[in-house]
Amino acid sequence: MTYETYFPEQRHLLQQAAFRRDRLLPNEASGVLEIGRGDRVDLRTVVARGESTSPYTILDVVKALKLRSVEDVEKVLKVGVGDTVTQDEMLASKDKRNRKGLRSPIDGTVVFISAGRIILRAHSDPVQVEAGMTGQVVEIRRGRGALIEGLGAVMQGVWGNDKRGIGVIRLEPEEGLEHIYGGEFESPFRGAIVITRRPLKAVSLDVMVDQGLAGVIAPSIEPELLDAALACPRAILLTEGFGQQRMGGAVYQFLVAFQGMQATIDGVLPGVLEARRPEVIVRVPINPGERPPAARIDTVLQRGMQVRLTRGDFAGNMGEVVDLPQNTVMLENGLRVFCAQVKLLTGETVNVPLENLEVFG
Amino acid sequence: MAVNRSGSILAVDFGNVHTRAVLIDLVEGAYRTIASGEVRTTGGFPHGDVGVGMSRALRQITRVTGRRLVSNEGSVITPEDSEGAGIDMLLITTSIGRPLRTVLLGLTAEMSIASALRAVAGTYVQVVETITLEDARDENEQLNAIVLSRPDLLFIVGGTDGGARETLLRLAKRAALALYLTRGEGRQRLVLYAGNRDVAPQIEEMFASTAKVLIADNVRPSAEREYPAAAAAQLAFAYDQISSERGAGFEAAATGSALGVLPTAQSYNLVARYLARVSTSALALDVGSGGATLAAAIGERSTTTIRSDIGLGQSARALLEAVGTDAVRRWLPFFVDDNDLTAYALNKTLRPGAVPENLRELYLEHAFLRAGVKALLQTARPLWTQETRMDPDAPLPPFQTIVGSGAVFSGMGRPALAAMLLLDALQPTGASNLLLDNNALIPALGALARVQQAAFVQLLDAGGIMALGTCISIDGEARGKRATLRIRLTLPDNTIVKQDVPGGTLWVYPLPLGVRARLDVRALAGARIGGKRRVRMEVIGGTAGIIFDARGRPLPIGRTPAERAQQLPDWYAQATGDPVRAIEADWLQEVQKAAQPEPGVREALAPRRERKPPQAKNEQVRKAEASRVRGRFKEQPADAQKQPEAPAPAKKDEFDDLRNLFS
Repeated sequence: MTYETYFPEQRHLLQQAAFRRDRLLPNEASGVLEIGRGDRVDLRTVVARGESTSPYTILDVVKALKLRSVEDVEKVLKVGVGDTVTQDEMLASKDKRNRKGLRSPIDGTVVFISAGRIILRAHSDPVQVEAGMTGQVVEIRRGRGALIEGLGAVMQGVWGNDKRGIGVIRLEPEEGLEHIYGGEFESPFRGAIVITRRPLKAVSLDVMVDQGLAGVIAPSIEPELLDAALACPRAILLTEGFGQQRMGGAVYQFLVAFQGMQATIDGVLPGVLEARRPEVIVRVPINPGERPPAARIDTVLQRGMQVRLTRGDFAGNMGEVVDLPQNTVMLENGLRVFCAQVKLLTGETVNVPLENLEVFG
Repeated sequence: MAVNRSGSILAVDFGNVHTRAVLIDLVEGAYRTIASGEVRTTGGFPHGDVGVGMSRALRQITRVTGRRLVSNEGSVITPEDSEGAGIDMLLITTSIGRPLRTVLLGLTAEMSIASALRAVAGTYVQVVETITLEDARDENEQLNAIVLSRPDLLFIVGGTDGGARETLLRLAKRAALALYLTRGEGRQRLVLYAGNRDVAPQIEEMFASTAKVLIADNVRPSAEREYPAAAAAQLAFAYDQISSERGAGFEAAATGSALGVLPTAQSYNLVARYLARVSTSALALDVGSGGATLAAAIGERSTTTIRSDIGLGQSARALLEAVGTDAVRRWLPFFVDDNDLTAYALNKTLRPGAVPENLRELYLEHAFLRAGVKALLQTARPLWTQETRMDPDAPLPPFQTIVGSGAVFSGMGRPALAAMLLLDALQPTGASNLLLDNNALIPALGALARVQQAAFVQLLDAGGIMALGTCISIDGEARGKRATLRIRLTLPDNTIVKQDVPGGTLWVYPLPLGVRARLDVRALAGARIGGKRRVRMEVIGGTAGIIFDARGRPLPIGRTPAERAQQLPDWYAQATGDPVRAIEADWLQEVQKAAQPEPGVREALAPRRERKPPQAKNEQVRKAEASRVRGRFKEQPADAQKQPEAPAPAKKDEFDDLRNLFS
C-alpha cells in the first residue's frame, strides 16, 4: 500500500442517491421469480420464492413387501413420481383395501421410482425475498432474484444479524432503548426502526422482541451477545463494531434527519466476496423527473477529506486529512507504515495508517 | 497445456484483502522483477469485481515504469507490442473466498482417503463429508450426507490399479444418485476421480449427465506407492472452475491468463521444494486474512497444510475459536478477558486490513499470529517425517530455509520484527536462513514454475525474496542468564566481533544485506545448536542482520502477564534495536468489571419475557478499563545493542441412465 492514489475503505452515507442492489434467495435455496424486468417494486414486493435443500428417503419396496422381483413393484404402487404424500400415506400395497403395505414415513414428494425403490423428498420450509426498497427491476438473476435500482438515502454499517426489517425511523427515548415499554398497541415504537447511540445490552434484545420493534440501529454490542443477536428475530445494524463503542456523531446526525420516514434495515452478515453491506435504506421524497446522482465508489484519499478512524486510541473519531506523507511513518508501537496526518475535531493531529481510515460518501 | 515461451510476464494475485501485481521481464538475458503494485481487493462491496483492483494495481506499475499495461477498453494488453506496451503472459492466482466444498469417497480411511487428503492439502478445500466402506451410516444417511452438504466437488478415490472394482463402483453410485437428485439446483458440480484406473471409464459414464468429470492418475496406484501430484493438479483446475463461477469478476479478470485462476497455496509448496533442493530443507509460511498455509520440504518429500480457520482478518474469530483464548493470552504482557479478545477478533473480521495502531493492538495481533501458527504446526507436523509424526510437540527439526509471507510479516515495515515473529511462531533450532516475501512474489513464482521454469529459478536465485538474515538458535532450554552463545564473527575486512549472548535473550549483529562473514559460535552452559556444541559457517547478512536466539526451545514464555511484561518488550527491543517499550503497571492489574444493574424499568417487563437471550457472564463482563488506556508506554534505553532498523419431478424416461444405480 502506498500513499499514492490510495482508495480508502468507503461506506455510504448518502442523503439522496441512485443505487442498485441484488435481492436474491439464500444460496442454499432455489425458486421462482415473482417479478419481471422493468417492473416497479416497493418495500414489500416479493421478488422470488423458493425452497431450500431437504433430505431424501429411500424406500425398498421389494424388501418391504417381500416381492419376488422388481417387476412386481409396478403392480403394487399407489403413488407416482411427482405425487405429494403425507406421513403414513400408503405408497405401495399388495392388499386391495390398502390396510397393509409400505407407508410414507414423512410428508414429502415422490421424486424417483425405479429398480424396486421409491425416493421421497421431504417438504422444506418455503423462503422468499422481498425488495426492501422502492425502485425498478433492471436485471433478472435466473432462479435466484433480481437486481433493483432504487432511489433514496443510504447509510452503511459494519455488521448485521442477517435479518431484514422495515419500519419508520424513531429515536430511542432519552433514558435509552431499554426504557421502551407499553401495552400491545400504545407504543409508538411498535414496528419502528429505533436508533440508539448506546451499545446494545442483553435487555435491549428483549425489548426489541417484547415491544415489536422492526429493528435497531446501534453502534456496537458485546461479543458475548453475538449468538443472541443472531438469534434475535428483529433486524440489527451496527455502525461501529463489537465492544462498547458509541455511535459517531456524523452517523447519528445523518440518521436523526430521517426520523419519521420509512426505511429498511438490510442486516447483511459481512463475508468474503459479499457484494452487499449491512445498510439502512430510507425512502425519501424525490421530485418527479429528478434523478439523484449515483453513489461514488472510486474516492481517492486526498488532503482536506473528512475521514473516520477505525482503530487505535481514536477509533470512531472523525477528522480531516491534513497531509499525506510520502514516506512511511513510525508508529508509537514500532511499526513503520504509510500514514495520513489527520486533524481531529479536538484539534489534535495524529498519524493514522492508511488502512485504518474510512471515508463516507 | 500449450503455453507461449515468452518475455514479459505479469502475475496478479488476488488475496482476501490485497491484490498484488508483479511485472517480470528479461533484463540482460535473465528474468527480474521490474515493478509491483498493491491495492485493496475489490471483489466485495461496492465493486463486486476483482478486475477493478487489478486495474488499479496495474496503474501503479505503469506510474513507476511508464509502461502501459491496460488498453483503452480496460483489458490487459497482450502480447507485448513493438512500443513495449503490454505483456506476453498473464498469470493469475488467488486465495480468495470460500474453499471448495468437497465430499471425499474412498474405500478405506487409512489407504485411499489418507492419500486423497494429501492431494487436497495444496488447494483450498474444505472436506465437508467423508464416505468410506467403513462408514456405519446406511445408504439413506450417506445419500443425505452428500445432498445436504451441497458439495462443489466429489473426490472419488480407492482401489489400487488393477485392484478392487465392484465395491468402488457401488460407492460411486451413491454419489451419482445424490447428484442426479439435485441436478436442477443450477450449480456446477465437479467430480474428480483418482482411483483404480481400470474403473475410470465407468465413472466418467456414470456422472456424465450430472457433473463435469475430471480424471487423474490414481493417488494410490499400489499399496506401497502414493502419487497425489496428478490429483493435486486437477484440484487446481477444479478450483479454477469454481472460481470463475463465483462471480466477482474472476472470469473477466482471468481472460488471457495462461493457466486460468490457480490456487495461491500451491505456490508455497513449489517454492519450498525448490529451496529444499538448494539447501536440504525448507519451510514456507503464509499467514493471510482468511487462512494460513505451511509448506514443508525435507529432501524430496514435501507437504502443504492449509487451514482456512487460521487467519488474522476474516478468519480471526475462527482462529480464536480454534486455538482458544488461553493460547492467545499466553503471548500477552497484560491482562485481557475473553470478551475483549473476542471483540478484537470480531472487529478484525469486520475490518481485516486494519493495522495495529498502538502497542496493545500490536501485542494482540502478534499473539493471534503466534497462537495460530502453533495450531497450524500441530496439523502439519504429523505429515512431515516419522519423527515429527510421533512427537508433534517436540522442537521443530532444523530447517535450513524459512520463508515468511503475508501482510502480518511484510506490512510492518520492520524486517527485524518479521524475523522475530518467525522465530517466535515457528521456534526453529540450529542455523536457518530467514526470508521474507515482502513483494508477495511467491504466488507469481508458483504460477511461473508451471510455464516458465527459467524465470522461476532466476527470480529466486536473484533474491526476489528478501533475505532477513541467518539465525542461530539453541535447541533446548537455556540455563538462566548465563552466557549461552559465544560468538566470534570475522567480517570481510578481518575485523573480529566477539559477543557472549546470555540465556533467555536475542542478540542481533547488523551485518548488511549480502555481506558475507565467517561465524564461529560455541554453545555454552549445556546448550546445543542443531545438536552441536560448536558451529563454524559462512553467513550472509540480511535486512534484519544476523540473529542469535539464546532464548531456548520451547521459548521460555512467562506464565503470568507480569512475567511476560518483563520479557516481551525486551525481546522486541533486542530484535529491532528500538528502546524498550515498557508495559505500564495498570495494564497488569486484572480489572474486576463493575456489575451494571439492569435498568429498573425492565423489571416490570421480566415476568412476560419468556425468551431470554443467552446472558452468560452478563454483568461481570464489561470492557476492561485497561483496553482504553492510551499510549501508556514509556521509552527506556534498550539493554541490547542498538541495531538499524430442488429439481422438478423427473419424467420416467429421464431415469433410464440412472436405473442401474440401484442394480
